[in-house]
Amino acid sequence: MEGFNYNLIDISYFDLLISLGLIIVAAGLSRFQHMGIERDLFVGAIRTFIQLLAVGYLLKYVFAFDRWYLILLIIFIMIIVASRTVTQRQRKKTKELPYIVGFAMTAGSGITVFVATQILLQIKPWYEPHYLIPLAGMVIGNSMNGSTLAVERIDSEIQSRKLEIEAYLALGATARQAARTCIRSAMRAAMIPTINSMMVVGIVALPGMMTGQILSGTSPLIAVKYQIIIMYMIAFSVAISSFILANLRFNRYFTSDHRLKEEVL
Amino acid sequence: MNKTKIELYNVGKTKNRIKILKDINLRFGSGKIHILIGPSGAGKTTLLRLLNRMDEPSSGKIEYDGKDIKDIPVLELRRRIGMVFQIPVIFDGTVKNNLSVPYSLRTNSNHVNEEDLINALELSGLRNDFLERRASDLSVGEKQRLTVARALMNKPDVLLLDEPTSALDHFTGIKLLESIKKLNEALGLTIIMVTHQLEYARILDGRVINLVNGTIVRVEEVEDSFLDSESI
Repeated sequence: MEGFNYNLIDISYFDLLISLGLIIVAAGLSRFQHMGIERDLFVGAIRTFIQLLAVGYLLKYVFAFDRWYLILLIIFIMIIVASRTVTQRQRKKTKELPYIVGFAMTAGSGITVFVATQILLQIKPWYEPHYLIPLAGMVIGNSMNGSTLAVERIDSEIQSRKLEIEAYLALGATARQAARTCIRSAMRAAMIPTINSMMVVGIVALPGMMTGQILSGTSPLIAVKYQIIIMYMIAFSVAISSFILANLRFNRYFTSDHRLKEEVL
Repeated sequence: MNKTKIELYNVGKTKNRIKILKDINLRFGSGKIHILIGPSGAGKTTLLRLLNRMDEPSSGKIEYDGKDIKDIPVLELRRRIGMVFQIPVIFDGTVKNNLSVPYSLRTNSNHVNEEDLINALELSGLRNDFLERRASDLSVGEKQRLTVARALMNKPDVLLLDEPTSALDHFTGIKLLESIKKLNEALGLTIIMVTHQLEYARILDGRVINLVNGTIVRVEEVEDSFLDSESI
């Protein structure tokens, strides 16, 4: 990667301890104001420290070991954890939900990461972990948020629009036609955060990845180009995952002969 | 001649282990007005919803024109047996948009014959200059008429009405029923209406089926039922 005359400053563990001082100050403020969040703040700070350090070591090992199956396994675990998170966020947890979420996220993120790494960046070898893992992580994380919103929205829309859905069915609509507005609304809900962030990126917020690349010495222009690709990847992947999810999820509310199930009514 | 349009054979319906309908045997003659009457919770709406398969019976069989309704494609059945609900559900857009829905569901096109639109409006008692009005601006009574007109766009031969006047004031309700009676006369449409007010049976001059606790307690022509209307 192109760098300037730039010496990356390593951070020692002593430096990390000093930065913990910032948390102590924040906790002091919390106590002073009787906010009662000191404990959470410390637990959060310690979890951040342990989780990130563990990931750091894990990635260091994975990068050194450099085997495609290990990298795919890590991505697979990411998808499983993200799917579980989406499922746990829902009030209506049904048997099939983890599977359809897993499928939607695998399809959405899979296509996206494939296009980005194999067609655009053409990384070599194809599983080059320095690219594959962070890109997949970002895409899966965003798909997870989009999927959570999509499932939550389609569930609530079908409940709140059941009179409208029945009116459509009584006119001879198929279940899909009757649920069209709900499906649309779920996809829109999933996409809005991504669209919002595309609107303000670089103006209101500097994305973490881009900032990270710049900090590590990459030319801002290269960092920006990566960020552009990432934003498009995220939008695409959220669109695909939420499209698949909304279209699979609405089905559980209908019988095969286009009736709303009694549990909904 | 009194042809049978819909016939129920030993129809039962159980929901959450409660028997809502018990062994119903019933005939609905073609081109007639039938009124399902009875106290709340008697199973009237449940019975109505079985006829166009918005619900499924737990036992028994229902025939439409002598054919088991399960053998008729459900979407086609629902087009032949239209339904109007208690609370009028209006879709977004104009009156015309609403009336075009049945056609666009069938064909994916919005080019509905203007004549059909005006015809449906007039039959349901709405003025034809309503076409371009925003449907959400209509009064409740007009909205209910619009849902009748919308159901007519499928050219059904049966119309199910589930307490269509309950959201309307008394006067508007009676006006709606008069239009429904005219519909029956003009189109020979079979009407099956649920209500708990016997007065409506009088206006529609229909056959009264009295349902109590999921069982038919009496079926009578309208003249007889008024003799002891207080008992219902």
